Amino acid sequence: MPAPVSPGPWPARLDLLQSATGLFLALFMWLHMLFVASILFGTDAMWRVARFFEGYYLFGRSLPWLVSLFVAVVFVLFAVHAGLALRKFPSHWRQHAAYWRHMRGMRHGDTTSWLAQVVTGFGVFFLAPVHLYLMLTHPELIGPYESADRVWSGRMWPLYLLLLLLVEIHAGVGLYRLAVKWLAVGDKARMRLMRLKWGFTVFFIALGLLTLAAYVRLGIEHAPHAGEPYLPTWQRTLS
Amino acid sequence: MKLIHADVLVIGGGLAGLRTAIGVRRRGLEPLILSLVPAKRSHSVAAQGGMQASLGNCAMGRGDNEDAHFEDTVRGSDWGCDQVVARMFAHMAPKAARELAAWGVPWNRVRAGAHEAVINGERVVIDEHEAAQGLISARDFGGTRKWRTCHTSDGTGHAMLYALGDRAIAEAIPVRERVEALALIHDGERCHGAVARDLVSGELTAYLARATVVATGGYGRIYGVSTNALINEGMGAALALETGVARLGNMEAVQFHPTAIVPAGILVTEGCRGDGGVLRDVDGHRFMPDYEPEKKELASRDVVSRRMAEHMRPVEQGGRGKGVPSPYGEHLWLDITRLGAAHIERNLREVKDICHYFLGIDPACDYIPVRPTQHYSMGGIRTDHRGESPWLSGLFACGEAACWDLHGFNRLGGNSVAETVVAGMLLGEYVADFCHSAQGEHSLSSALARDFVAREQAYLRRLAGRPGKESAVELRRRMERIMTERVGLFRNGDGLRTAVDELGELLARSADIGVRAAHLDANPELVLAYRLPRMLKLALTVAMGALARTESRGAHFREDHPARNDRDWLVRTLARWEPGASRPTLDYEPLDVMRMELPPGFRGYGARNLVEHPDSALRQSEVDELRAAKQDRHAVQSHLMPFKHLLPPRYRRRNARLDES
Amino acid sequence: MTRILDFDILRHNPRDAASVPRLQRYRLAETSGMTLFIALTRIREELDPGVHFDFVCRAAVCGSCAMLINGRPGLACRTLTATLPAHIRLLPLPGFALIADLSVDTGRWMRVMSERLHAWLHVATAVDLDALETRMDPDRAEAVYELDRCIECGCCVAACGTAQMRPDFVGAVGMIKLARFRLDPRDARDDGDFFDLLGDDDGVFGCMSLLGCQDVCPKSLSLQTQIAHLRWAMARRGLAKAGADHGDGI
Repeated sequence: MPAPVSPGPWPARLDLLQSATGLFLALFMWLHMLFVASILFGTDAMWRVARFFEGYYLFGRSLPWLVSLFVAVVFVLFAVHAGLALRKFPSHWRQHAAYWRHMRGMRHGDTTSWLAQVVTGFGVFFLAPVHLYLMLTHPELIGPYESADRVWSGRMWPLYLLLLLLVEIHAGVGLYRLAVKWLAVGDKARMRLMRLKWGFTVFFIALGLLTLAAYVRLGIEHAPHAGEPYLPTWQRTLS
Repeated sequence: MKLIHADVLVIGGGLAGLRTAIGVRRRGLEPLILSLVPAKRSHSVAAQGGMQASLGNCAMGRGDNEDAHFEDTVRGSDWGCDQVVARMFAHMAPKAARELAAWGVPWNRVRAGAHEAVINGERVVIDEHEAAQGLISARDFGGTRKWRTCHTSDGTGHAMLYALGDRAIAEAIPVRERVEALALIHDGERCHGAVARDLVSGELTAYLARATVVATGGYGRIYGVSTNALINEGMGAALALETGVARLGNMEAVQFHPTAIVPAGILVTEGCRGDGGVLRDVDGHRFMPDYEPEKKELASRDVVSRRMAEHMRPVEQGGRGKGVPSPYGEHLWLDITRLGAAHIERNLREVKDICHYFLGIDPACDYIPVRPTQHYSMGGIRTDHRGESPWLSGLFACGEAACWDLHGFNRLGGNSVAETVVAGMLLGEYVADFCHSAQGEHSLSSALARDFVAREQAYLRRLAGRPGKESAVELRRRMERIMTERVGLFRNGDGLRTAVDELGELLARSADIGVRAAHLDANPELVLAYRLPRMLKLALTVAMGALARTESRGAHFREDHPARNDRDWLVRTLARWEPGASRPTLDYEPLDVMRMELPPGFRGYGARNLVEHPDSALRQSEVDELRAAKQDRHAVQSHLMPFKHLLPPRYRRRNARLDES
Repeated sequence: MTRILDFDILRHNPRDAASVPRLQRYRLAETSGMTLFIALTRIREELDPGVHFDFVCRAAVCGSCAMLINGRPGLACRTLTATLPAHIRLLPLPGFALIADLSVDTGRWMRVMSERLHAWLHVATAVDLDALETRMDPDRAEAVYELDRCIECGCCVAACGTAQMRPDFVGAVGMIKLARFRLDPRDARDDGDFFDLLGDDDGVFGCMSLLGCQDVCPKSLSLQTQIAHLRWAMARRGLAKAGADHGDGI
């Protein structure tokens, strides 16, 4: 029998990298959702969150390029993650057919959810860069009116609606899969993880829908003044 | 015609065949294994409870040694075994267990300190010695005086088979899977290999070898309900029988295991009783102490099986009528609830799975329905202590397929897997010696091989698509019924005579079996059509041997001759099938009492019912005298019955034990 | 009430150029305690002597009879028909060479896998058969047996979406075997050696954690746990590997 030939370190590193980027992106998406949802606590709350990320409370003034920088990092990780994930996609028709046949016979949640991950990942791959590019080039346009105008008057809401569903499903399944990939999980814990995963997905989609609705409403109200930046209430009383 | 050469052709990929092949490979020869199924699916995998080896590590095994193992084996055989072989075996078993330990079998190990166990239905505390920590442990089995059965939970056969299967892969030993030997190629004096059929393509190939080793397991499937795998149809023994030259030994010695589940016939291990399980009847009464107050459930298998059958039999037929009625006939209960869920989960998990999947019960709470069921073939291809047929040079056999004769008329639990590896270790050396000797030279013209292949090819062509009027399925069912009803646990002259007549008739009819499918490649109908006549020949050999043997010994019990008769029947039955004959020819080989280390005596079960051999008393006094004179057990033994000179030199050294340096 | 069972069984002989894979229907009255072993045997004995399938031990220990039972891999011998609907579809195990009908060549697959993964205990020193055996921690011995219980039935491979797409993937069976040897103190290899066998996309890093294996394994082996352990160990090894010790692995 031939002696084994070492595969070298790269398959291991790439697998780790795929998991690590996935973990980062998924957790980022959840936090991002929470920050965006600050609109539900009022426009001022959202304004504060936006300014916070521009370093306003740290440096005393807004530095939108900080956001650009962060978006650039996310963009790179996103690209790396997508590139690595592509390796796992079925590439031949034969593989597609084999997976379909297998999935339909097995009627097995984890097997079916992988296809969901492929499909949602594929969708995110096309839709997310639009948003990412906007944020990269116009980091200053994050704010209650700015965002609401983008959603409504900028006609971005269909894209955001779709992206919300795709991202939350992808991230939920992805985090669950990361757990079963790297952690020793017994059958019982796995059941709990699965329920937890569904809980998170439902929660974030619900939150996302409410948030989007809030921006849409705000966008409709603000449509006549589209393009005007938001001033927090206390600044308005001052001026 | 396809011809393939090897040094050693091994037919059968179970424990015995694998270990033999590994042995000859280590001696620099090229072995080739033929197997009906992938090697790791062989029936060895089904052995559950364990392997006997007198390591004497655990507290209840302290003081054990080869002498005790030898004596238990001889008593268990009802003095039917070859005592020299039993000695060689007892000496080799610890080496086999230790070799397997080094090759990866995860034997259960001794845990120093106190632990609970169930003995005779009572919870007791056993204190394991600090010095034994981490050495191979053992459990109790029937018919043994010490706890001697090494095990890995209750998946011992699996762990052993996988260790040896992996070893064979590591040593690059080729295994031709789904290949069936159809005939041994021989010239009446020397065996040269075998004609084999690829069960997928149907192609015939002549495998030529210096030595041919048959390790095909037993013939349990001639019975209707058996714990055996479906492949245990005795084809190895049948091939030897059909040479017309080689002989089969003690074919009437067929063991029934007390505890197979009802109705599936799947075995639950003797370890259940060894670990403290008991047998109960329809009233929930533990009945074995009534019959065997000393050994109770852990009497020899033949004894327990007969007591169970007796206990179930209707009162008017001389039984106690205490069986549990069920749609599948009467059965009794095996109760292991006392052992507790934790013990079952850890040490009897296959039993738990079997109960769960095939019975829908949990053995930690429910009783298991069991009844005695055909389990083991003590008979097989008769060989000398080297595993070679005395009538056909170059033909070797080992494991359950052989009768070298370790088990006599009853095998002790835990001695079968032990036998397979011990025999494989020994045959690896003996076969290699044979191959390296002048006799082992290859001296065959391919014309003979061509004749054999042509004969088999013509036979198969005739069979395939033949519009015969007999149904193989129907004939097979009749054979199974006859064997179960008339050649089973209890036998008598009338029943056996009828059986012989009917089996003979079935054999004649089997020449006209119809086969619908005409193609020669993978074809289950064709396979049954050519195997069935061979199975019928074996069945006839078993029935005729049983009819002729007018005594009761071990598993062979004649209601019309209930006594063990050493005077007339301390002999080994030999069966040969003359070409063209309709019945086997029987003759006998006497056992020499004057050379026995353990002269025939009372086995200690039931009432003493024994016709003594005239030499027994004489030999006993010789033995007693010698024992009184000598101190050292090794010295006594070598005076009584020297055997070490028969062993391959590398295996002659003494076995170390904690108590013995 | 006795159910009438309809068995749709895949019939195909790949060596016959004229054979086209098709489902053939057989009808049987259910009996109590009927398993697929009993049903298929009756079909062969009473309805069609030519149907191919593999049973050896018929007690769920030999791993011969795995097949797709209404789409899912399982051991036919221990599957009670009572647990199935009245319409039962039986297909051969995918991912293995078809012999005929329900019979597939798992043996060859397993041997090739074992040879590729060097799936045997690597013994460091010669064994002294006459001396006391090397001691082993009782708990470790039990833990090794726990992983040794794989019966090579092929269910995990048939239940694995990755293996179905990529025939070179070692499957859970390959990984559990190496996990077993890695746990065994008698095996002379270290993680560097196991990395060379498993550390690529046909090995542990090809596993996408679809866990079909975990959910169908007839022996309930802790496949998910073992693969996760292996993944960590191999990933650590991969990070540590600067390419110096085992070459660059082109």
